[in-house]
Amino acid sequence: MNDGSVRSFYGWFTTLGILVGVLVGLGYYRDEYRPWKEYQRRFIREEIRRAATPDQRVLAQNTLVQIRQILLPELNRVDRCTTCHLAVEDPSYGGYPQPLAYHPQHDQHPFDKFGCTICHRGQGRATSAVDAHGAVAHWNEPMLPLKYIQASCGQCHAAADNPAAPELVRGAQLFETVGCRGCHKLDGVGGNIGPELDRVGARRSPDWLRQHFLAPAAVTPGSGMPPQKFAEADIEAIVLFMLSQTGASLPGFYASMKVIPSASEGQRLFQQKGCIGCHSVGGQGGKVGPALDDVGLRRSPEWMMQHFRDPQTVSPGSVMPRFGFTEAEARALTDFLLRLRDQKVALSIPALMGPVERGREIYSKYGCAGCHGPEGKGGVPNPNAKTAEQVPGLTYVADGYTKAELKKLILRGQREIVPLDPRRPAPPLYMPAWGSTIKDPEADDLVAYLFSLKPKGEDLGF
Amino acid sequence: MNPSPPKANGVSRRGFFQLSLGWLAASFAAAATAVATVRFLVPNVVFEPDQRFKAGAPGDYPDGSVTFLEDERVFLVRRGNSFRCVSAVCTHLGCTVNRTGQGYHCPCHGSAFSGEGRVESGPAPRALAWFLVTLSKDNRLLVDKGQIVSSDKYLVL
Amino acid sequence: MNGPLPKRIWMWFAQTRVGRSIFRVGPPQSNLERSQAMVSSFLLHVQPAKVSRHALRASYTLGLGLISLYLFFILIVTGVLLMFYYVPSTAQAYDRMKDLQFVISAGLVVRNMHRWAAHLMVLSVMMHLCRVFYTGAYKQPREFNWVLGVGLFLMTLGLSFTGYLLPWDQLAFWAITVGTNIAGYAPVIGPELRFLLLGGNVVGQEALTRFYALHVIVLPALAGLMVAVHIWRVRKDGGLSRPDSPDDSVQSIPVGQLPTNKSYGLMELARGTTPQVGQNPDDEVFSWPHLIFRELLLFMLIVALVLFLAVFWNAPLEELANAVHPPNPAKAPWYFLGLQELVSYSAFWGGVVVPALLVTALLLLPYMDRRRQGVGRWFARERAVANSIFSVCVVTAIALTVIGTVFRGPNWSWVVPWQTPPAMTEGH
Repeated sequence: MNDGSVRSFYGWFTTLGILVGVLVGLGYYRDEYRPWKEYQRRFIREEIRRAATPDQRVLAQNTLVQIRQILLPELNRVDRCTTCHLAVEDPSYGGYPQPLAYHPQHDQHPFDKFGCTICHRGQGRATSAVDAHGAVAHWNEPMLPLKYIQASCGQCHAAADNPAAPELVRGAQLFETVGCRGCHKLDGVGGNIGPELDRVGARRSPDWLRQHFLAPAAVTPGSGMPPQKFAEADIEAIVLFMLSQTGASLPGFYASMKVIPSASEGQRLFQQKGCIGCHSVGGQGGKVGPALDDVGLRRSPEWMMQHFRDPQTVSPGSVMPRFGFTEAEARALTDFLLRLRDQKVALSIPALMGPVERGREIYSKYGCAGCHGPEGKGGVPNPNAKTAEQVPGLTYVADGYTKAELKKLILRGQREIVPLDPRRPAPPLYMPAWGSTIKDPEADDLVAYLFSLKPKGEDLGF
Repeated sequence: MNPSPPKANGVSRRGFFQLSLGWLAASFAAAATAVATVRFLVPNVVFEPDQRFKAGAPGDYPDGSVTFLEDERVFLVRRGNSFRCVSAVCTHLGCTVNRTGQGYHCPCHGSAFSGEGRVESGPAPRALAWFLVTLSKDNRLLVDKGQIVSSDKYLVL
Repeated sequence: MNGPLPKRIWMWFAQTRVGRSIFRVGPPQSNLERSQAMVSSFLLHVQPAKVSRHALRASYTLGLGLISLYLFFILIVTGVLLMFYYVPSTAQAYDRMKDLQFVISAGLVVRNMHRWAAHLMVLSVMMHLCRVFYTGAYKQPREFNWVLGVGLFLMTLGLSFTGYLLPWDQLAFWAITVGTNIAGYAPVIGPELRFLLLGGNVVGQEALTRFYALHVIVLPALAGLMVAVHIWRVRKDGGLSRPDSPDDSVQSIPVGQLPTNKSYGLMELARGTTPQVGQNPDDEVFSWPHLIFRELLLFMLIVALVLFLAVFWNAPLEELANAVHPPNPAKAPWYFLGLQELVSYSAFWGGVVVPALLVTALLLLPYMDRRRQGVGRWFARERAVANSIFSVCVVTAIALTVIGTVFRGPNWSWVVPWQTPPAMTEGH
């Protein structure tokens, strides 16, 4: 050893040298030869094959193989889907197998402004198929199954009347009619028995939501939510609506189309803004301005739009004030007036309705049906509650309470529910205190409605 | 005291082979590492707006107009049904030029360009770049700032 | 023990067990100990036990090398402090600069020190280069040290340039726009080089990230390494250059025949030669205290200077960087203004060819100049030609820089500063 020779180390040197060389080469190879490059080459070959003119052929041949991305700084996203999905904007690729298929219907939502993941979810920054499609560990937003895609519309647009998302509209309607709000808050309105649903679409998968509706206690141990009886189509709709509740706060441009102008939205505005004070529809309303039933036959849409912007400019001497409608609102109202000429519309205007009618709307608005059943018919299970292990129906509430007592009960709630058997767990469902949510005049109307539930002629003389 | 010199024949044949192989592999590894390091430092994506952008519909531009698109730093020129697009980035040191009269002028060092983008005076070394304009599949003007063309290349509709 | 109290405390500590474990040699009392203090100290042993009297003369070197080193230290210390608050993000960098100015204790002073020390260091490095040239101190055997020095000069410019961008104000943004566009004019590799520097096509977040990485670790580490080798070479090349004298010319003698009785014998095992030192005992003094104390005093002077500038003058901070509004005119940092003036005549010749030629000439200089005369004296008569050529270059560079700074206004037009009011108009 002391003679300074290193011959004994030659073998080690060679082995380790080769090992390092091989590993470096392997690492470099794996980094350079990525699947997305192969997809791009396939696309380029296809483009060359389809080139109709020499110009197009040259253009295709000069296409670089490189990562493509859509930068969306306002949404804080980068979508690299177009690295593989190269023909999304080319209709002539309709029907091609993925990833080279055309993506239909993108005119309203151009890719360079919206990207992909805002609707489809997934992991936009990834450049491999499995990672990009997002069903991987430590990524909470896997791609939405296509059948639920309308859920994404609900992130930017109000669900209420979105003509392009009928499933979403159905889901939103179900949410109201079934009375989910009775236990769950959404957008700040609702009961506090169950959790708020504002972010449920971001936290739960479609499968979980399905199962939760069918058997809540199976997926959430200890849940007091009664199992929901939905038809299959309805389950899909309500799951879709839940998926749309992601709690995303969208900046400027993306939040500007919350309401899609439509005749239904126009009707809602018409009812809300008090137009009926001066104008009449179907014989009901004011006489200051003309009746609006046939205005769609007399005036063009452009005239109506300008009229909404500034009545004086098209109707000099008019006493109609400038309401300051946004373009979208003016568009919606115009659509509504146009619809009026085609069909009769049943308006529901609070000022024209009686307390019972208003009360019916309030019963629906706050989701009372969720616990008390549609029209107060009851039938919702409340295990171990003394009231026949159900949430009491409200049909005969007029016999048991005075109006003042009922109103107080609604506003103050009843936290403690008398159990059937004190040894069993307490009943999960209770009456929330609605005083901070339901305003006083609304409570009066609600009471009037509830009192009207008793079938006429049945005075049992209690 | 001198260390004992290596054997007269030096390294054995086997040892020589082993050494060469080892050095070869190690040099390859070193070279590959150097290449990979340089490659690492060259960006594959830039977080800048795409070089290709849609400039709207042809009908958005009146005949005879020269329209400055601030976000993209280009001028879109229309004459009749011919469209072309010139860069508003001065070729000297990158400032944004202004449209003056029939040409362009740079406020940083005073370069003046003709309407065709050629340098008339000042320190700019090259004419303003003209970009390829095509029609996209959805009938919008598509400008590609990554493709420079000659000033007489129009998109004729 | 006698002497003032601090010295007595120190002397007591230095001979305790703990003290002796740290400081292997106590405060030097004898010549032997003075030698040992230099040689057995990690920090000090790069310097010799004895130095030539000539090397101590301030009028010879002007201490410029040391000044550059001290400024580098000040920059490192202040730079590290700044790193605790600065964020290299286009959204945050400027705001952090404002925080340093307004809410961080001593933030303003630290930032100012960093900025003024940076400017001073570029200046002192340039002057050091001139000094070494004019005293012929690049000649054999110091050629490679000169090359290292040119490398360090480029490092200094690089450090100053990369740091210039970090405040992300208009001054920073446009100076770097000008600078990187000049780089883009290099033939063949220009556009790719600019793309690599900026991490993209524009001066944006990628550029800021890269410049930050270069500025805080890559260039300082490289420069630090080169400084270490540069100083070590001064030793190995026989100390600072001195005027020739018959018995003092630098000789190399084979190891193993050293006449002196040095006690550190590694050189006896190494093969090769070493320049001879210690041949002229009358000319030499002990580094401790003569060299060390002068070095310490110079350090204090430099710190005082930087502090003075930092306390009374604020480093500039203009408006937030705005890519759409170039200032008129947009100027590079002062050490590149001569270059920018040249570029205004011709981007390629002025921006690429001339600097490349200058740097190449500097690097090749010591290998082309084989004459051994004129070392160790300023403006030696024997080197009149070389000195004249160099002086012409220096004067031209200074003139171009002055023109670029003072006599160029909007649109890079000629302005006479005492007649025209300063008009910094915006682009559009």
